[in-house]
Amino acid sequence: MDMLKRCLRSGRVMVGLGIVLVILFCALFAPYLAPADPNDQDLLHILLPPAWMADGDSAFPLGTDSLGRDELSRLIYGARTAMTVAIVASFGAMAIGSILAHVAGYFGGAIDWIIGRVVDVWMSFPPVIFSLILMVGLGTGLDKVILAIVLVDWTRFCRVLRSEVLVVKQRDYVAAARLIGFSHWRTVTREVLPATLPLLITLVSLEMGIAVVVEAILSFVGLGVGADLPAWGQMIADARQHIYDSASGLFFPILAIFLTVTGFNLLGDGLRRALDVRLISAREQ
Amino acid sequence: MLATLLQLLARRLVASIPILLLVCALLFSILRVLPVDPAAMSMPPTATIAEIDAKRRDMGLDQPLPQQFLIWLRDAVHGQFGRSIQLRRDAGALVADTLPATVELAVMAMVIATVLGLGGGLLLFHLRGSKLEIVADIASTVLLSIPEFLWALFLLFLFGVVLHLLPFAGRLPPDFVRPNVTGFLLLDTLLVGRPDMFWAAVKHMILPAFALGLAFSPAIMRVLRSSLLDVYQEDFIAQLRLRGLSEGRILIGHALKNAILPTLTLMGVQFGFLFSGTLLVEVIYSYPGMGNPMVDAVRNADLPIIQAVGLTYCIVVLLITIAVDCLYLVLNPKLRRH
Repeated sequence: MDMLKRCLRSGRVMVGLGIVLVILFCALFAPYLAPADPNDQDLLHILLPPAWMADGDSAFPLGTDSLGRDELSRLIYGARTAMTVAIVASFGAMAIGSILAHVAGYFGGAIDWIIGRVVDVWMSFPPVIFSLILMVGLGTGLDKVILAIVLVDWTRFCRVLRSEVLVVKQRDYVAAARLIGFSHWRTVTREVLPATLPLLITLVSLEMGIAVVVEAILSFVGLGVGADLPAWGQMIADARQHIYDSASGLFFPILAIFLTVTGFNLLGDGLRRALDVRLISAREQ
Repeated sequence: MLATLLQLLARRLVASIPILLLVCALLFSILRVLPVDPAAMSMPPTATIAEIDAKRRDMGLDQPLPQQFLIWLRDAVHGQFGRSIQLRRDAGALVADTLPATVELAVMAMVIATVLGLGGGLLLFHLRGSKLEIVADIASTVLLSIPEFLWALFLLFLFGVVLHLLPFAGRLPPDFVRPNVTGFLLLDTLLVGRPDMFWAAVKHMILPAFALGLAFSPAIMRVLRSSLLDVYQEDFIAQLRLRGLSEGRILIGHALKNAILPTLTLMGVQFGFLFSGTLLVEVIYSYPGMGNPMVDAVRNADLPIIQAVGLTYCIVVLLITIAVDCLYLVLNPKLRRH
């Protein structure tokens, strides 16, 4: 409760959460908010600027792309793609990464060593290169993008959480739990996990921002969610190709990605400050 | 001193061999479980099944996987990655041709990231306790969340398209003939005595290099600031004040020397990411480094190029971390004594 109150008082958390909720709202209610079907082509009205500029058309508030599709509608539906990837991929990466982190940190020894070396090798692959290579094998599609992000980014959770587990494991109450006969499973889930949970939540929030960027990057190079799903990265790629005809097409998807990532990062950063026990006790002293 | 440095260098290089081998194995196995058949892809569409089978035997694809890996590894060590299926040229030669451009971009970006990072860190530290601190703090959080991909697009939009200030495609205007002495364009233009061409090349690099520099400097700023804050907790700072040194001399002459070490550790990691970040920036600015051929190869499942370029990225990133570790040793008096 105390932690919740501290989160609600944090400006970062509230601003970040506000941005994320607005985008989530767009994603959930895209069919009601979007003025047109995002895939409807109107080849008589291609590369239009926003409605308020000269040559703009009030039927297309933010203009159209090179196939005459409505930019605003694609932007709103793009939020759907981005949010789906952000939520599913970051929870997937968290699941794998945190399970391995708890196993490695709690049991230590050979298991810890093996998991540590796997993380080392995994991380010596630059993430962008790694996800591109994975997409060659997986092919395009929403589920493939999510899978690629999970397969690349679980290490972020694993490395950070493992060191946290090592610290928590040393505490007296964990030893006490073992002494009164708790099983390993019960000790980890009831005693260790609650202590690592704040860090876990922070990491998930930051990972969501990363996932949004990775999805945009993969869609930008044409290896993302596929042509039938509107995605911000695709809109940018389309606008980049016709940059001399219509520059505005570049601006709005960049802004959308920027806002989403900033939202998740402010939320993550705020949560870290609000939930970090050590930071709080240092401040109170 | 030099002996310790060489010892560390040797140790780190040896230690990176198993990692590199595992990276190769991972790269090889991801690409070998693909549903693409390199033999069929390298043949004309009119080839018969028998011809493709012969080709497959010829390429060693009928051997068991571990055997195939060893053959591939032996060739890779000799720089032989095979011929690109799409471009019909040697994949190793493609890396040799495009790597210098990527390195030039990365180095320029690292210089920008270092200057911005250290300058920004000092500024953030200078603003501590002032009214502007909260503004600077939030600004650095926001900046921290903008990846190079967005910076590249945003700078292109603002300075290239809206303001028309800087070029944003390729490395030289079309009317220049590229000299080729060392492969490094900036160096070559100077070697052939063409300062006008050098300047044109620099102008083409400003936007992509700043996109990378801006994306990787905020983390450096924040670490420098917090390590400076830590250093200022120490007694020797108060002692220096008692001795009557000016605040400026304490900061530059003493505190910074101590605060730079944690910053350097972070910079090693950051510059590794920066190098792989060149890929997207190169695609956005049509910059002729390794990025564009890599993305094309990924689109077309062109295995030799993916393997050659992918491995090159991994090796350079490893080398950057090793180089930064050595620099750390040079700058750290505690490690130097042993």
